[in-house]
Amino acid sequence: MICGKSMRIYTENQIVKDSLIRCPICEAINIDNGGEIVCRRCKEKIHDYKSISFHKTVAFLITAMILYIPANLYPILLTKKFGVVHENTILGGIMHLWEAGSYPVALIILFASVFVPILKFIFIIYLLVSTKYSLKSSKVDRHKLFYITEVIGSWSMVDVFVVAILSVLIHFSIVEIIPGRGATAFALMVFFTMLSAISFDIRLIKERY
Amino acid sequence: MEDSKLDNFIICKKCHTLHRKIKLHHGTKALCQQCNTLLYRHHQNFIDRLLALSLVEFIALIIAFSFTIIKININGIYRGLDFSSIFYTIFHNHYYIVGIIVLFFIFIFPIVILLSLILALILMKLKRFKYLVKRLLILIAKLSHWSMIDIFLLSILVAMVKLFDYAQLEFSVAFIALILVILLDIFTLKRVSFSDMWEEYENIYRKSDSKR
Ligand SMILES: [Zn+2]
Ligand SMILES: [Zn+2]
Repeated sequence: MICGKSMRIYTENQIVKDSLIRCPICEAINIDNGGEIVCRRCKEKIHDYKSISFHKTVAFLITAMILYIPANLYPILLTKKFGVVHENTILGGIMHLWEAGSYPVALIILFASVFVPILKFIFIIYLLVSTKYSLKSSKVDRHKLFYITEVIGSWSMVDVFVVAILSVLIHFSIVEIIPGRGATAFALMVFFTMLSAISFDIRLIKERY
Repeated sequence: MEDSKLDNFIICKKCHTLHRKIKLHHGTKALCQQCNTLLYRHHQNFIDRLLALSLVEFIALIIAFSFTIIKININGIYRGLDFSSIFYTIFHNHYYIVGIIVLFFIFIFPIVILLSLILALILMKLKRFKYLVKRLLILIAKLSHWSMIDIFLLSILVAMVKLFDYAQLEFSVAFIALILVILLDIFTLKRVSFSDMWEEYENIYRKSDSKR
């Protein structure tokens, strides 16, 4: 079937779908033996034993969730104006932008810094829970959910970069911006959420009926 | 099942639906039946094109890293933003963890990925050093999650909006170079899937192996 310039190819039903797995590095198809797999093409380890990757994912996720608290409570940037120091947390910064009328930017930061991490936590927890209990969602949907989790992972770094940029540009004798302690917690939180998503074993996404 | 049989299949990266591969006509592409994600496409002069784009991107990246990105003017006092000033400021304020994370995400990883890609493509053109090419392709795949140069551009735009009311802003040459880098990055990544690259790798070295 040709539609425009593109062509669709059809799903193969004759073979056992669950026994084949895609190498995340070279995209070669490998046979899943249930345990540790080494890719036949790139010879890299695709997955640990399922229990190991499960625990890795949980450990990184918990670390990230703990870091989320100081990341929001501590100031992400400090403004020094005429020697007086103002502390700005992420939420404070968003409210400031909102009051100043920069609605699009306030929304971008609200989405990237506050919602994306929480969404990622929820998605990963949901995927982990769905491996243990049968939940009413299709395998395809859960794979898509995982894909989204991986893609939006880096967006939360926006705030850390913005703080770095502002502290370079606003460096005058009367007014100065310097990074706050929250920035460290925030950068580490993004790092650990990404690690958590990467160590998640997609083989744990199974159809259960 | 043997390897050759497994090579007839492809799994969608987004929804993990299994597809049987078919030979594509000139200028066509294969899409996932479930979610319309690009699976692979018909390539012509694959390596040459990708190499040309990567070299342009490399030059743009060097410009973006070396020159001023934006300049602000507050009551006649100018301050410029460039990559080295970012790292200097973060380390100067003793935020070593943030500094290292930012350094890797927006500087080291993007440049390592691009250099590896260029080197791998040149070696593939020469049809030599099979093992090294494989290591480079693996390195690119592993690091690609961690390159955040596109997020950095978004951050510059956000920072500019924050400064709009207080200062006059001027774009400099590195800003345009940075946009070019992102555009080329999107273009190359959208057109080329990793499975295409690995297939090309296998084709090239299978032929040269059998010649020997
Ligand atoms: Zn592989
Ligand atoms: Zn798909």
